[in-house]
Amino acid sequence: MTTLLQNLVDGFGRGSTYALLALGISLIFGVMHLVNFAHAELITVGAYVAYGLSTRDVNWWVLIVAIVVSSVVASIAIERVAFRWVRNASPFTMLLTSFAIERLSHALWQVLVSPKKKSFPGPGWAFDTWKLGSVRFEIMDLLTIAITIGVLTLTALVFRRTLFGIAVRGAAEDFDAARLMGVRANRVISGAFAYAGFLAGVAAVLILMRSPTAEPTLGADWLLKAVVAAIIGGLGSFSGAVVGGLALGLAEVFLRSYLPDGTPQRLTDAFVFGLIALLFIARPSGLFKVATAERV
Amino acid sequence: MLEVDGLTTRYGAITALHAVSLRVDAGEIVALVGPNGAGKTTLLNTVAGLLRPASGTVRLNGDDVTGRDPAALVRARLALVPERRRIFRDLTVEENLRLAGITASKADRRRRLDEVRELFGVLANRWTTSAGYLSGGEAQQLAVARALMSDPRLLLLDEPTLGLAPGLVDTIFELLVELRQQGRTVLVVEQNARRALQLADRGYVLRTGRVVAEGRGADLAERADLFAAFVGVGE
Amino acid sequence: MTDPWWLRVARSAAATAILSIALFVAAVVYTSTGGSARELLVKELLVNLMLVLGLQVFMGNTGILSFGHLAFAQVAAYAVAICAIPVATKAQQLPDLPFGLGDVHFGPLAATLIGVLVALALGAVVGIAVARTGGLAAAMITLAVLFVVDQVVKNWQELTKGAGGLSGVPILRGTVWLWLAAALAMFVANWFGETRAGRFAVATREDEIAAPSLGIGMFGARLTAWTVSIVVIGLAGSLRVQTIGSTNPRQYTLDAAVLVLAMLVVGGMRTVTGAVVGTAIITVGNETFRQLGDPQRLDIERFPDLFLGGALLLVMLVRPGGLLGDVDLAGWLRRATRRPRPAAERAAPARSAALVAEDVEVRFGGFTALDGAGLRVQPGEVIGLIGPNGAGKTTLFNVVTGLVESQSGVVRLGEHDLSRSRPHEVARAGLARTFQNLRLFANLSVRENVTIAALAAGRYRRDEPPVDVDGLIAAAGLTEWADRQARTLDYGNQRRLELARAAALSPEFLLLDEPTSGMSDDESAAMVAQVRTTAASVGAGVLVIDHDLAFITRISDHVVVLSEGVVIAEGTPDEVRRSPAVAAAYLGTHA
Repeated sequence: MTTLLQNLVDGFGRGSTYALLALGISLIFGVMHLVNFAHAELITVGAYVAYGLSTRDVNWWVLIVAIVVSSVVASIAIERVAFRWVRNASPFTMLLTSFAIERLSHALWQVLVSPKKKSFPGPGWAFDTWKLGSVRFEIMDLLTIAITIGVLTLTALVFRRTLFGIAVRGAAEDFDAARLMGVRANRVISGAFAYAGFLAGVAAVLILMRSPTAEPTLGADWLLKAVVAAIIGGLGSFSGAVVGGLALGLAEVFLRSYLPDGTPQRLTDAFVFGLIALLFIARPSGLFKVATAERV
Repeated sequence: MLEVDGLTTRYGAITALHAVSLRVDAGEIVALVGPNGAGKTTLLNTVAGLLRPASGTVRLNGDDVTGRDPAALVRARLALVPERRRIFRDLTVEENLRLAGITASKADRRRRLDEVRELFGVLANRWTTSAGYLSGGEAQQLAVARALMSDPRLLLLDEPTLGLAPGLVDTIFELLVELRQQGRTVLVVEQNARRALQLADRGYVLRTGRVVAEGRGADLAERADLFAAFVGVGE
Repeated sequence: MTDPWWLRVARSAAATAILSIALFVAAVVYTSTGGSARELLVKELLVNLMLVLGLQVFMGNTGILSFGHLAFAQVAAYAVAICAIPVATKAQQLPDLPFGLGDVHFGPLAATLIGVLVALALGAVVGIAVARTGGLAAAMITLAVLFVVDQVVKNWQELTKGAGGLSGVPILRGTVWLWLAAALAMFVANWFGETRAGRFAVATREDEIAAPSLGIGMFGARLTAWTVSIVVIGLAGSLRVQTIGSTNPRQYTLDAAVLVLAMLVVGGMRTVTGAVVGTAIITVGNETFRQLGDPQRLDIERFPDLFLGGALLLVMLVRPGGLLGDVDLAGWLRRATRRPRPAAERAAPARSAALVAEDVEVRFGGFTALDGAGLRVQPGEVIGLIGPNGAGKTTLFNVVTGLVESQSGVVRLGEHDLSRSRPHEVARAGLARTFQNLRLFANLSVRENVTIAALAAGRYRRDEPPVDVDGLIAAAGLTEWADRQARTLDYGNQRRLELARAAALSPEFLLLDEPTSGMSDDESAAMVAQVRTTAASVGAGVLVIDHDLAFITRISDHVVVLSEGVVIAEGTPDEVRRSPAVAAAYLGTHA
């Protein structure tokens, strides 16, 4: 029972990071039909900003704000500089553009800072532990749960109540119809990238609080799983992205825990990906999104 | 109010409009009829800014608005109710309307929501329903209601009675009259050519991207060779 | 109709020879002024080239993105390593090798063959999944495969020695084998483009709906391209491990896959020439940047990524089709070696089957598109189908041609029941169509468009006499544009091309969906003769939808009028034109 609970907490922790990233990827796909393989690079941005500020002996709360803000700014900038120019190109071209940006990002951090990992002090207080019965909780676990629930609730509010959110949802369904209502194309896309940047920034905070290191390929480790989670849930579906991310995180943790003892831990990744491949064969459009018919 | 002069629009390799000219005066209802592929939708989409013309001009109250972004045209108080409505099915009726009021101030938007709610009783009953669940007639009313949220002076409607039962067709035609009574100007593309022409002050017949007939609505409706003009067989 | 096999093989060989010699000369010049480092770069280039060509055969011809090809190269590499490493060395690295593999030892040629076969075995299984799904889902499957293989290799220690990799593979002497293998890869890639299977794959890339409408099965075409590509990539992996002497998972990561992808895309993935150019540019560029990054700073492995990212970004923004686009040595050779064929004496085949649709009902959600509509076309007859917008004309077409499922009703061609048939089956049975929104193979030439249909006829409609491609092109008035890309044609010519292509299937019936849409009155008039002549030359009856009543009147023997999903009138063109019911349907009644 306690293992179950522990696994749930761990799985939720991991899954919420995937969910936040997947949500951002789904959001961008919704307005642009772009699968953004460069999205996780925003985590790297946050990491280096945190590293840079930490050398000035700054409070961790300030770091949190800085990480999120830098992620938002970087996301908007990438859209302005690169994706705007391929907005009406084929999905293939857009995908490859995002790859190019990912590569450039890796290279630039190496050149501008260092190829080596740079560690900085983590928030020690976050790892004080509590005991509830026989389950060990870290404050970090609770913080993760609280932040994730908070951000998801905020997201739901933004996209259901605010005009901006409604505009993004409308544009995701029918971009031209949204323009006919007076929605400005550039604004809604920049806005989507900004919010996706916010989500990635929060994800970066969760990651960096546990593992405060900055390295050029930090994003790459999270990217794959995040993209897969978004696609499982069906690109463009918010609930799908959240469910996909949480499911992936829980699956990872539970598989690791329940596979026979001899199975090497990293093989669980293989299982997960194998299952995913099977899922795509069975339901190519993901779990949530229904494919629309093409006009002949 | 609207002056279209020598408009030529290309659609991929096709020239969909060949130097089309028409005008709509303030307070009028003008009907645009013609067979399929004539370019009627292309014309409306070009005027509304979704398509860029290869040549020609579109003037709104004297201002040259050719090639402007649709969002800018909405702010210039032009609204298009597109072909097949294109309502946001994932959004509720209320969300559809609020979104359509995005160019207005909060106060104006609230006021217009109330006005629309009163005018379209049917929608008031479905206020929080997802638009995807609306019937054809309700969806069409939502589409028109949306256009009204930006308080347009000029309304473009693209085949508003498409796929609607006869009773609902009546409702739509009554709506057009209501719009004129509100002081708005209407350019409507219609399937029900005769009926639309009878209702309209003036009309244009478009075929293969060219204006082949124009005149007062009632005159055009009575023309014996209207069908011939429509489908292009000389008799 | 197609060039004889030996000519096609000769062309592939010539293209390969030219590219290989060009590369060879460049390599000789390059290595003459350098040391062994330069020789290593040439080897790296050749290995990269084979990897890229393996990917090109699939991606270039089907348009489906694959991240997973490197996984199969890796599988081949490990298979070769296990077979080729001398038994003693092998025992040291892999003491617990299962399946008795510890005792096997093969020479380089046999090991290479085994490598390719193992890659093929695994590849075939994945290929089935990929060919069935297509699009983004297929790309994600390949991504998953890349990852799964990577994890299996890293963790199945007994078989692979895990992340450390295997070494001690006998290195091939000199570079001669590498050059031969690279040339072989180029040859296969070129030759595939000359085969019917290759042409069919390209058709699926160009238009997913038009290809099946010519009888081409999407699954089969994609799977064939995939299989050939796995053979090449297996060869690449086998050669790579025997060039370096070792293999480890770091050589086959997502990074590496993106690198190969970039090499393919920068030059232009649709052509072999593009693949070669792209590989050369990226390999040399990478090396240049690697050297720039080495001396001064600390160990900047990723400096080449600046070049890679930058080059990829630039190409995507400016020339997404690749630097070379569709410029292709093989294509040029095809045009240069074309032999004018004498016009075949060909009597139009006698047809006896009628096309019948009865009581067809189609509902989309709550909307009834067709409510018991039907029609009949006799062999050789021309039937016009008219009606106002939304009447259901295109829906009826789509039901007949298998694109839309009807809730009830029957579609028959003679005795052959086509009611539940899929589009490619309908085409193979003898119904060819054109599309309202024009669906040409845009990047292919006029001649290639028509030839693909003729190839499909040759394969799936064997009882028909051979198709005269040049004749059809001439009849469409397109001879002077025969080698131009379809998307550069003006609109009227594009419509005529689509008609010629449909006719090249040697169909029993031509179904034309608004062939004069967007045409001027003069062009429409010319289209009448066009349709008549084309249909007569292949002996096809015609069912045509159009809004231009002048066109319909002049071309039809009989007209059917559809309105709101039902047939409201039928008769000769004159009768229909004078019918008040028809006028009412179009104009609406008085208020």
